[in-house]
Amino acid sequence: MPQPIATPVLAPGTRYRWDKVRNQHQLVFPEGMIVLNEPGKAIVQLCDGRTTDELIAVLKEKYPGAEPAGDVHEFLGHLAKRGLVREGAQRD
Amino acid sequence: MTDTPLPRPLSLLAEVTYRCPLQCPYCSNPLELNQYRDELDTETWVRVFNQAAELGVVQLHLSGGEPLVRRDILDLVRAASGAGLYSNMSTGATVVDGNRLEQLREAGLDHFQVSLLDTLPESNDRLAGAPSFDRKREAVLGAKRLGFPVTLNVVLHRQNLDRIAEVIALAQAWKVDRLELAHTQYTGWAFKNRAALMPTRGQLDRAHAEVERVRAEGTGGVDIQHVLPDYYFERFPKACLQGWGMVSMSVAPDGFVLPCQTAREIPGLEFPNVREHSLEDIWERAPIFQRFRGTGWMPEPCRSCDRREIDFGGCRCQAFLMTGDVTATDPICELSPHHHLVAAALEEAAQNDPPLHYRVMPRAGGAV
Repeated sequence: MPQPIATPVLAPGTRYRWDKVRNQHQLVFPEGMIVLNEPGKAIVQLCDGRTTDELIAVLKEKYPGAEPAGDVHEFLGHLAKRGLVREGAQRD
Repeated sequence: MTDTPLPRPLSLLAEVTYRCPLQCPYCSNPLELNQYRDELDTETWVRVFNQAAELGVVQLHLSGGEPLVRRDILDLVRAASGAGLYSNMSTGATVVDGNRLEQLREAGLDHFQVSLLDTLPESNDRLAGAPSFDRKREAVLGAKRLGFPVTLNVVLHRQNLDRIAEVIALAQAWKVDRLELAHTQYTGWAFKNRAALMPTRGQLDRAHAEVERVRAEGTGGVDIQHVLPDYYFERFPKACLQGWGMVSMSVAPDGFVLPCQTAREIPGLEFPNVREHSLEDIWERAPIFQRFRGTGWMPEPCRSCDRREIDFGGCRCQAFLMTGDVTATDPICELSPHHHLVAAALEEAAQNDPPLHYRVMPRAGGAV
């Protein structure tokens, strides 16, 4: 089993996009695209060099009462398996 | 017609030129290249990209020919990026240096895809009809240094399939992000060369086993795409483009809009042109985009088949090339009355080893 990602960053060429024609959040990448829901979009936009723990803390603040840790790990694991999210540089 | 809302295209293939310094014998461009020299100008392509974005296109594929021979290629990339399209470029990478790569990056190109013909430099250069291996390698390494996601695309056939392990090793050594192991699609020049390009069943079995071995042991960070050729491996046809007019459209160098890039080789079809109509008009109203949309056009055995919305009758170009009838069920399907043509093609390939016909673009004035 792969290790959970400590510091998720989007893979080169993978980026978030708002589709104004379909009113959709999308994650686009070479030759493909996946549609994101609101929580998915929030997670993807936080894959910017902060750690997964920090990312979860931000979500908890944004959505009081939510316990997003399980969903975040699952979602990031799914994106990593597809090569869309990678382990970023570790901070000291 | 059904009540389903009209789909919107997700991808647009912009074949910005048919000109190319290479002569690949499986090129998907038309055989009669000399007929199509009247290329769209910069302004028209920019308009097309803006219209594509408005219509809902997400992925733009800048291809050709060799897109990098266009002098305005940076303007085209900038326009695509400005329109909010995700821009992919498919290139032979023989006319690009570090400086041009940097300019492409700055212009907003999202993804760089390089074709390689073989892992042996002399075989690559022979198949391409020009010395190109070293330049391709430099372009891949240079693009990686600049932070591009890079795909290496290797078209596989009888003459290089036995080196699939070397292909994967090379992709790993060059640290590409994706490797497309693309078995030859038998349209365009490849159909003309089918008997010389078709691999044997033994070759394919060994190649398949090798890819599976690498996947099991770890691909070293390379996302490997491998789709086996339908002539040998499929009982049913591939859902080519999910049917015409469903998810994608192609614009040829001279502005004609095609439901599939190879469709213009089918005689008797009329294609609209972006010089006269908007992309939206074409997508919604041009007869060629409506004709094969959905399932209403289908003959038997497709019409009553449970798989009609799974494979959409297969590939229209392959159906035409093999049977002469663009509305026929793709002969790859075991239910097709023409299915025997598949076995006949394999038989012909097994018994012959004809020379390759190389794609040749006659030199003439008037190119952009």
